[in-house]
Amino acid sequence: MAAGGASGDDGNREAIALMGRYCDGDAEAFRRMYALIAPRVLGYLVRMVRDRATADDLVQLTFLKVHRARAAYVRDADPVPWIFAIAHRTFLDEVRSKKRARVRVADDGAPPDVAADITGAAGGTAFEDDGQQELTAATLVALQTLPPAQREAVALTKLGGKSIAEAAEIAGTTPGAMKVRVHRGYEALRKALGVPKETP
Amino acid sequence: MSDDRPPLDELAAPPMGDLLDGELRDLRPVATRQPWRDAGLVLAAATIVVATLVGVLSLRRDLDALPVVWLVLYGTAWLGTLGLGAYLALVPRRGAVVPRWRLAGVVAAVAAVGFVVAGLVFARTTPQSLVYAPTLANHLGYGASCVALGTFTAIGPFVLGALLLRGSLPVGARAAGAGLGAACGAAGGFMLHLHCPITHAYHLGFGHGGAVVLCALVGALILPLLAKESR
Repeated sequence: MAAGGASGDDGNREAIALMGRYCDGDAEAFRRMYALIAPRVLGYLVRMVRDRATADDLVQLTFLKVHRARAAYVRDADPVPWIFAIAHRTFLDEVRSKKRARVRVADDGAPPDVAADITGAAGGTAFEDDGQQELTAATLVALQTLPPAQREAVALTKLGGKSIAEAAEIAGTTPGAMKVRVHRGYEALRKALGVPKETP
Repeated sequence: MSDDRPPLDELAAPPMGDLLDGELRDLRPVATRQPWRDAGLVLAAATIVVATLVGVLSLRRDLDALPVVWLVLYGTAWLGTLGLGAYLALVPRRGAVVPRWRLAGVVAAVAAVGFVVAGLVFARTTPQSLVYAPTLANHLGYGASCVALGTFTAIGPFVLGALLLRGSLPVGARAAGAGLGAACGAAGGFMLHLHCPITHAYHLGFGHGGAVVLCALVGALILPLLAKESR
């Protein structure tokens, strides 16, 4: 998985080294770690909230929390799952704090056709304001139709490249439950996109 | 679907905000968490509290008359739960930052049920033990005082462990709290094991085992608050 020029184990090894230096007081190490990990965290959050501006804010909030909790880091441990778990918690807190926006109805009292995202914007408006065109529209619109737990599971594993165990750790569930969510989410996505099942 | 647009993983991250940048201007080295030391501190705190309370309140009067095997096995179960629960709630697997909260939660559930059942099934009595009339009022009265004493024993080690976990549990804080609570409740159970001469099965199950249940529940409720990252 591409992530700011580093990938997979190499990226995580670099993150371990940078985190250690950062905890020793090296601000430049934090900046480099931010450059290394923030794109991955942003990708995850964009998939979850479907609004670039909100995802940008959540990235800032995530790294602020990482900074404030840096004393909880364990030397030589991989900080990436921990940072993703903080991002996940930040996302959940955001959802809770803006829960009412999800049930916002139109002026005439009718519910929105597409579920509102956590900012209250209806699904179809995401990314249009800032001109971001990265999303492959059909897939991501279909992704938004999944229940939150399945959406998160698909975003973390199929799109984010996390292993089942890593995704379970981030989402705070068991690997078995994560596997089921991924499977169901993927099947629902396939169905929504009209992709026939592959036959052996 | 052909698409020239970059995948989401290659999105450019937003530049660091002023708040984050400001925090970095005055960056100082921090002492990072040492899980094994933390677990040791919690165990040491539990040992000190148990020893102090047993010293102040005295050893149970039927200690010499109880079967040694029963005494040792029951005591080992209390201490084992203390050690295992504290270990899982505080020490992550190698290479991880977040402790093994899921297993800690499992230990909490097993310990909570296990000590209640063990008390009901494996109670032993002696002529020197304290026997009260088995009325509901007596069960509730004596039971409540032992639940309270066991929980009181757990408070110090639990709060210490929770503070040492600050920032470590963005997920799984409730399960880890239950595990740490059950562990510290087991320290309370061990203290009662050495102090309380009541051997009625209901008392052992719901009074002594109840301390573990209560501590696990309270731990699950308050650890997420105590272990939040500092503001």
